[in-house]
Amino acid sequence: MVLKNFEEMIKNTFRPSVTRLCPEVPTEVSDRYRGMHKLDRDKCIGCGICAGTCPTRAIRIVRYGRWFPMIDFGHCMFCGLCVDQCPNEALTMTKEYTEAISPDRYALIYGPAQLMGEED
Amino acid sequence: MLEEQMKILIEALYLVFGNENPWGPWVRGVVGLCAMGGIMVSAMFAVWLERKYASDIQSRIGPNRVGGKYGLLQLIADAIKLFTKEDIKPDKVDGPVWAAAPVLMFGSALLMIIAIPFGAFIFNGTTYPLAVTQFDISILYLEAVSAIGIIGIFMAGWGSNNKFSVIAAFRNIARMIGYEVALGLTIVSVVIVTGSLNIVDIVEAQGSVVWFAFVMPLGFVIFGGSLIADMGRVPFDQNEAEEELIAGWGTEYSGMRFGLAYFAEYIHMVLGSCIAVLIFLGGWNMPGFLIDLHIPLIGLLPVGIFLAKWVLVMMFVVLIRWALPRIRIDQVTSIGWKILFPLAMVNLVWAAMLGLVWSW
Amino acid sequence: MVNKHDVKKRMRQLAAEYIHEPQQEAYKLDDTEMMLHIGPQNPIQPGPFLIDLKISGETVRDSKLYMGYGHKGIEKILESMTYIQGLPVTDRICYLSSLSNNEAYVSSVERLLDIEPPERSQYIRVIMQELSRIQSHLLGTGEYATDLGFVTMFLFMIREREYVLGLIEDITGARITHCFPRFGGVRQDLPDGWREKAIDVLSMIHEKCEMYKELFSSDRTYKMRTVGIGTLTKEDVMKAGLTGPSLRATGIDYDVRKVYPTLVYPDIDFKVQTAENGDIFDRVMVRVNEIQESCWIIEQALDQIKPGPLFPDELPYGRRTPSMRVPPGDAYVPIEDPRGEMAMYIVSDGTDKPYRVKIRGPAFALMQGLPPMLENVYIADVPAIAASMDSCNSEVDR
Repeated sequence: MVLKNFEEMIKNTFRPSVTRLCPEVPTEVSDRYRGMHKLDRDKCIGCGICAGTCPTRAIRIVRYGRWFPMIDFGHCMFCGLCVDQCPNEALTMTKEYTEAISPDRYALIYGPAQLMGEED
Repeated sequence: MLEEQMKILIEALYLVFGNENPWGPWVRGVVGLCAMGGIMVSAMFAVWLERKYASDIQSRIGPNRVGGKYGLLQLIADAIKLFTKEDIKPDKVDGPVWAAAPVLMFGSALLMIIAIPFGAFIFNGTTYPLAVTQFDISILYLEAVSAIGIIGIFMAGWGSNNKFSVIAAFRNIARMIGYEVALGLTIVSVVIVTGSLNIVDIVEAQGSVVWFAFVMPLGFVIFGGSLIADMGRVPFDQNEAEEELIAGWGTEYSGMRFGLAYFAEYIHMVLGSCIAVLIFLGGWNMPGFLIDLHIPLIGLLPVGIFLAKWVLVMMFVVLIRWALPRIRIDQVTSIGWKILFPLAMVNLVWAAMLGLVWSW
Repeated sequence: MVNKHDVKKRMRQLAAEYIHEPQQEAYKLDDTEMMLHIGPQNPIQPGPFLIDLKISGETVRDSKLYMGYGHKGIEKILESMTYIQGLPVTDRICYLSSLSNNEAYVSSVERLLDIEPPERSQYIRVIMQELSRIQSHLLGTGEYATDLGFVTMFLFMIREREYVLGLIEDITGARITHCFPRFGGVRQDLPDGWREKAIDVLSMIHEKCEMYKELFSSDRTYKMRTVGIGTLTKEDVMKAGLTGPSLRATGIDYDVRKVYPTLVYPDIDFKVQTAENGDIFDRVMVRVNEIQESCWIIEQALDQIKPGPLFPDELPYGRRTPSMRVPPGDAYVPIEDPRGEMAMYIVSDGTDKPYRVKIRGPAFALMQGLPPMLENVYIADVPAIAASMDSCNSEVDR
């Protein structure tokens, strides 16, 4: 009556474990994973559509030579609407997500230079 | 040469530990403390075994940080955590009752140590069982003392001034009344066959082949079920069911008060498994299918056999916990009284017949 | 003129009915009875709700349910966001079945805009719906197993769910809040090589469900706790307005996919899973059977899908504009959520933001069905019954 339970559990002890030893073994995310953003300098025209469509108003357009977006990752919910609406596909999402954790709230505001990868 | 040296050693041991020596009781007390320390280490091993085996059943990794790759010292980390937590005493608890409950549970578990022989040292044909004391009614004493822990749980439930704890306490008493009877009856049936209440005699009466688990299979199954109910583990852990009763009797305990009770449960599990091995599975006798290897049973080999059997029993107890759902309290009492009790009576009759055959 | 003192007296009377005090009938206690509050932080389900049980010994005599601890005001938030900005908000109504919530919202807006997505998008949306159903049932049944003390079953189901979430993540890019359908189509197409991976994962899940069904049917301790307990009759179900697996377990075969079919469900051949008695055992069995049926639906959809465009040729709005004006009107399109019938009634007044969005969630009725079932059961049955209804507190409170 309960023997099927035991049989199944004992069979399962011989199968390999499916968990990973965090943080030594990193998680594998898919190619389309919606992580932190990356900006392409040549393609961005500073139109402001990404700022207008963001549901949490995490994007602001600031001056860095021309006009570029500045993203506050404390408010961003990684929905991907800004990436969909960009007319030149200048804003894309990478697989990076561990950098979006920080004890300092103001360190999460990424200016255009950080989004383009030119500065730390 | 070797025999003479051993004789001198044994005489020296009698001189040190025996009753002619005025320091004898003190020395025996130190040995008792060492035995207690050994039990703590084995409880640590029991906790580790449970967590590691549970993670194997569930395709996980389990403890892997403290103490090497396999997390052997995990309980030490847990103990340090429990020591450093704040000791919260709620305002309206019944002071002495609430504070004494974990101590009572821990004490009852430790009182069982003095009568259990953890293997034997066989030399020159004589068996010296490794027990702190040996007395003639040891199995009766063990069963009586293990029931004291129940009063501890009831004190915890009542003294906490908490509705959830009170419900847990009542469930606990209902469970115990049902299963102590069946436990006692199976132990009595073993005693009938052997003819003595001394646990060492029971072990020696089972040779290598005639273990009571094979001769009285019904008694073995009933004893196993009642033992798991006695230890308060799933499927009988209604008194600490997390989904209904928050934490049952342990709701108002934090820090080392909870740690004592938690530890006491694991020591109870360790010692209960020891008793099961000794009474039903042949104690330290060599298993029948290994007799062909002609390994002589001397020295500390019986201790090794005892420990191997003990680990197997504990693994089975852990498997039962993680493989079955919890049953309801009214089903617990109905199983205890309507199924196990009549079967235990049937087993008693069978044991009486066996006892007649045995004494021929 | 109305007397001020009469008004105050009446207000005090009304307040006394709503205040949590022993003036109410349900709270009058005999000598043998006790009131047990399984409080807002409850161990039964994730999400706060309060259930007051009047118990006598170990039997429950009466119960009262208090909800609303998690109210976030989602319907009001949606009034101040444009239609495309409201899509990530609808993800978070119930985070387990977020694709179904998106689907309900997008279907209603498409009916207002009077556009229909092309066939390839419809097939992709059907595949995502069924994948979401599989993972929601796996997690719901696993949580119910922990409430019985059967922790190992939960871990087995979570393990299978990870493979399904990997499939979903390959398409949408996220594990729980997907924001995937768009007005007139879907966000992205299926990636290359996804079809073979999906067929492997689905056949594994099919096998594992057979193993779960055998485990549940042959375990005597499990059946002692679930057969004959928490029974709902057909009249109870109709009175409470329940839908979903809890309704189908009593024998009524109402499934929104058959009664009001949207997308390409008429072209796909599947059976509605029902059971006889309506107790806990049957509800769980209906869910496990539905997982297997969903695997079969996805396989059929993958066979029938053909290459094609993702959006229709003429759209009444530019695809890359953040706001669009929706013609005035109202629309209500029900779909089959893993828990029941879900729909959003959207009223539009011609601007780019909706005038009113009313969300008809299935979980509210599941919670309402709980107090009538809790007459004369044991305390230990309360978590089992509550968890077998598989309700979601964040959808109840919105």
